[in-house]
Amino acid sequence: MPIKNRFAEMHVEITGWRRHLHQYPELQFDVHETAKFVEDRLRDFGITDITTGIGRTGVVAVIEGKTNTTGRTIGLRADMDALPIHEATGLDYASKTPGKMHACGHDGHTAMLLGAAQYLAETRNFDGRCVLIFQPAEEGGGGGNEMVKDGMMDRWQIQEVYGMHNMPDYPVGEFAIRPGALLAATDQFDIVIEGQGGHAAAPHEAIDTNLAAAHVLVALQSIASRNVDPIKQVVVSVCTLRSDTDSHNVLPQKVTLRGTVRTLAEDVRDLAEDRLRALVTHTAAAYQCTADIDYERGYPVTVNHDEHTVYAADAAEKVTPGVWRDTPPIMAGEDFSYMLNERPGAYMMIGNGDGPTVHHPMYDFNDDAIPAGCSWFAEMVETRLPAA
Amino acid sequence: MPVKNRFAELHDDITAWRRDLHEHPEILFETHRTSATVAEKLRAFGCDEVVTGIGRTGVVGVIKGNTTKSGKVIGLRADMDALPIHEQTGVEYASKTPNAMHACGHDGHTAMLLGAAQYLAETRNFDGTAVVIFQPAEEGGGGGHEMCKDGMMDRWGIQEVYGMHNWPGMPTGSFGIRTGPFFAATDLLEIEVEGLGGHAAKPQETIDTTVVASHIVTALQTIVSRNADPIGNIVVSITSFETSSKAFNVIPQRVTMLGTVRTLSNELRDLAEHRVVKICEGIADSFGAKATVKYTRNYPVMVNHDAQTEFAADVARSVSGDCVEAPLVMGGEDFAFMLEERPGAYILMGNGDGAAVHHPMYNFNDEAIPVGCSWWAGIVEQRMPAA
Repeated sequence: MPIKNRFAEMHVEITGWRRHLHQYPELQFDVHETAKFVEDRLRDFGITDITTGIGRTGVVAVIEGKTNTTGRTIGLRADMDALPIHEATGLDYASKTPGKMHACGHDGHTAMLLGAAQYLAETRNFDGRCVLIFQPAEEGGGGGNEMVKDGMMDRWQIQEVYGMHNMPDYPVGEFAIRPGALLAATDQFDIVIEGQGGHAAAPHEAIDTNLAAAHVLVALQSIASRNVDPIKQVVVSVCTLRSDTDSHNVLPQKVTLRGTVRTLAEDVRDLAEDRLRALVTHTAAAYQCTADIDYERGYPVTVNHDEHTVYAADAAEKVTPGVWRDTPPIMAGEDFSYMLNERPGAYMMIGNGDGPTVHHPMYDFNDDAIPAGCSWFAEMVETRLPAA
Repeated sequence: MPVKNRFAELHDDITAWRRDLHEHPEILFETHRTSATVAEKLRAFGCDEVVTGIGRTGVVGVIKGNTTKSGKVIGLRADMDALPIHEQTGVEYASKTPNAMHACGHDGHTAMLLGAAQYLAETRNFDGTAVVIFQPAEEGGGGGHEMCKDGMMDRWGIQEVYGMHNWPGMPTGSFGIRTGPFFAATDLLEIEVEGLGGHAAKPQETIDTTVVASHIVTALQTIVSRNADPIGNIVVSITSFETSSKAFNVIPQRVTMLGTVRTLSNELRDLAEHRVVKICEGIADSFGAKATVKYTRNYPVMVNHDAQTEFAADVARSVSGDCVEAPLVMGGEDFAFMLEERPGAYILMGNGDGAAVHHPMYNFNDEAIPVGCSWWAGIVEQRMPAA
């Protein structure tokens, strides 16, 4: 069975929702208007069991199947938040808010899950319960974690959970997935190196913090090149290096380095943190500086469960033959990982076609993917909760 | 089909051959005694053709099936050479030659393929031709490449080629394989940094090559940490750093560094070569020194072919009941050259617990012999079933 006919009929309407959301992007947990839009649409579909304010601004809604002999419940999740990017697409439905933009396609994700919700509420052709999860703050706030911490999984007795993300440079409406680690753990660090500021003409009377920071930055390269098994994956990037002066003739007292560590396995994550701490502390000490390290563990590794990855890929194959079951892992992070740490499930990638990559000011979600994405969500429910 | 009964009968003979080879290890292309032993046995088994001197000291034997109507020709390859390691096992059949040792189990590989050849020559229960390939110089000389360059594949019309390596840490006689890139390309680096030597108390009059070379070592780390896709697999290691003088008070004129680059794709291999040269030359230039880089492409990535891998795994399962997906290996293997010439597959067979290969306490596990021989025989009999 290819794309469900109902989604071909609804394609224009869902595209309209998507473009509306695109015009009104909201950041982090401040997705009030988006959450309201979601709630209003769900009510239009005749869904009454709707709870707002989960994970601060998340929305959870329940669609009961025609029957519920099994007591089984499946969660489908979309993210609602945008990014602090100034849109440069020039589209007629471009962001109306300067400096904010749906540059990661969450507008598309939310619209597709709404489309699937309308179909599932109309047909209810399944045995069990479907829980729709619309989360805020995927882009850095850990909204998925907040929803989990609010007890969502237990409260709605969710047994399996599925999510989807668009993937630029992959054929529109085709799917890609892999069992095991799909997206990286994203940790971040702030390092403050303190030496002894002074006159640039008298370096011998100062302790040059810039030099110590430069050696730290170079030494951090050895985590990837020397410490981590080359069969495994790690990225250590220093993204910001800032001295506390911007002069031509003052050696700074302090230098701040800021960056990220990406890993695909917990043992590598631990190793990278241990090595970073040791390299920074001792390299700074070698140059008579002190280092203060604030190392924050962010989103965990997004690990698809083997069995549920097969379910997800099989459901996708009912929509299109274009299903890649062994796509390489991606070093970006995803806070759906918190949900997958609580319940078995899988995260699916859907092709967005050619065009700019996510987080780029020219990016746009590809509306041509909508029927395939909606069909996959619907298939997940109908195949995992087959009608009695 | 578990282990073939005939190999249970032959187990003692094959073990004796293996231990004889173990006592008489030979390095690189100098496998004269080993090659002669192999050729003599192949003739004694009644092989249809035995040719020596392919790839300098390699040996090729031909065994025709009862019929050859299929026109199929399959190559089975073992390696014969030992390593320049001083054996410390203390076994009674330990190497009689100081600083030469079968520390990678090629003695076992050769003995198992001989065992399979004896069985195949006795039974010939297949429709096609088996070509047994015994190569020298797997450990760095590219003996497999030399055999290919001698026209082996065309001369014997080999259509597919298979190889096997023992693998310490995997249960004895179990199998592991993976399709696609499997073993790394192993390239060699020689970097010479030429500066201006002088008195250690007057560095301002020199161009200090130790400082320049140290900066190069550090900068080379960025190929892995900054240039390569983190999803890919790459190692860049500087393994030797030597100044041209050994004094306490001389800044050396020259520093020579050796190293290796390991990659699992040609894209990364090209990237690594490009970046190594740029980094060395650029950094040396920045200090007013001169870097000369000799980048030698040694063994290529060893890539298992999909269909032959699946078949090799099927045969392994028929012998041992299971065949796991092997992890990627950053070591190199010159069977890669044969797999560039013909489709085929390379499989790992467990050597049980014990020392790793290339360790002076390593020993091939003779318990694995009947399993390994059965896999070889199965490749021939199942790929070219009797008419």
